[in-house]
Amino acid sequence: MSGNKKDIWDMLSDIPREVLYGILIVVFVIPMIYPLGLPVPISDNVRRWYNHIESMPAGSVVMIDFGYSGGGEPELGPMAVAVYNHLFEKGMKVVAMSTSIEGPQLWDKAMAEIRPERFGAQYGVDYINIGYIAGTETAMAAVGKDLRATTSTDYKGTSLSQYPIMEGITDATSFDLLIVYTTGGDQSEGWVRQWYTVYGTPYLCSVLAMMIPTMLPYQNAGQIVAVTSGAMAGQMELLVGVPARGIKSADVITLTHLLVFAYVVIGNVALLAKKAQGGGK
Amino acid sequence: MSSTLKKTIPVLIVSIVAILVMMDYFLAAPPTDAAGKSWTSGVVKDLQNWGIILTAFALGFGAVNLFYFHSKHISRRTPDQWMFSLWLLIVIVIFTAIGVYMGPTSTTYNWLYNSSYFALSATVYSSLGFYMTSGLYRALRLKNIDSGIFLVVGLIALLRNAPAVAVWFPILIPWEKFIADVITTSAQRGIMIGGALGAISLGIRTMTGRETGFLGKLTEEERGGRAA
Repeated sequence: MSGNKKDIWDMLSDIPREVLYGILIVVFVIPMIYPLGLPVPISDNVRRWYNHIESMPAGSVVMIDFGYSGGGEPELGPMAVAVYNHLFEKGMKVVAMSTSIEGPQLWDKAMAEIRPERFGAQYGVDYINIGYIAGTETAMAAVGKDLRATTSTDYKGTSLSQYPIMEGITDATSFDLLIVYTTGGDQSEGWVRQWYTVYGTPYLCSVLAMMIPTMLPYQNAGQIVAVTSGAMAGQMELLVGVPARGIKSADVITLTHLLVFAYVVIGNVALLAKKAQGGGK
Repeated sequence: MSSTLKKTIPVLIVSIVAILVMMDYFLAAPPTDAAGKSWTSGVVKDLQNWGIILTAFALGFGAVNLFYFHSKHISRRTPDQWMFSLWLLIVIVIFTAIGVYMGPTSTTYNWLYNSSYFALSATVYSSLGFYMTSGLYRALRLKNIDSGIFLVVGLIALLRNAPAVAVWFPILIPWEKFIADVITTSAQRGIMIGGALGAISLGIRTMTGRETGFLGKLTEEERGGRAA
């Protein structure tokens, strides 16, 4: 290397971000347009989640928290849809609520994708949404203690007493399972404190992939049955037998991860080559 | 007198509420009813519902405050700011008007949410993928032993989380499981226990009036110290 002239190793150790981003877009778009059908393994946590629902009898009552925001929908939405398919297929009674203010809109979006009528499920009979309840952890505690005292209407403003599904549902002890989809640590950890610890309600939790390390201690301590990330939605879709957005994104995840691996290898080879030439820091 | 009103009474209220909520969480203090519920249960239920109402009120109050703050930018024509403030207020008014008159579950409101806020927030969040790619390329470099450990662990986690790669190289699965279940979990538990101890000490300081941040700005005398 002489003067300001860059050799090949200099260029490879400092690839402009425009190039990195450009290649990433191409690698991202191709499998979206032409799905490759790459293999998808079923992880232990997804299988544990699936088996837990499988082991429950039809008619069990499930509470679901749509605690994610619009930004998290592309990751958590497909998982929510796949699990709802499973619950409806098993004939569960599902009560949804939201600790995120955007929850009711995202629940509507999920329902449009699921189409509960395919399973013969009726709103108010087999499933319901009691809407957004402010206060995050306070809301969880209040709903667990006395649901009717916390909210008397569903998300459309209709009295809960008009819906057959709400007969006999009073507090956390009325539920056989708690499922939470969330982009927030307050929600995912709050449900452990306010429902599992107090009432022992079995708890399944789906969070953003980057939140998994925070939630693993709860799973390893037995406080959560299974923690999954939304990125595992493809695995759930395979188990449930309803391939959709999740399985499509599995190809994208594989290719983009391999690309990042290639970038890291290139960066390190260039660094080591520069060191060998005596120019590396 | 001002110290009593501004500090003693609020701290007393906080302490009583905190003790009641903790009693209800950890104990079944007698007398209990036929269902085995403590007398604290009904009191805490009311307190929690007040909390929910107050939080909902705070959301509305936040919107009013937002209006006040951005109106000032618009009236002062703050350079590089006032047009964004104006746009923000227009959006708030549109969402509020449609939400109030047509309902937040109406088709129109859902359409507005899906085609504006939802699309934008999903896009902004997804764009993180680009920054993370560039960041990993530049950060995962074998410069010394520490960065070497970071590099190896990062690559194992990266490849294990690529679904097809885990099928092609199943040896990655137990490696990543060890990293997640042993190394990450033990470190995370340490952080969580540390955070919990901090929360307990903050709670005790608040209940005993040593932590006064939640009371707003107090003078030294009101805080319990000597007057200047």
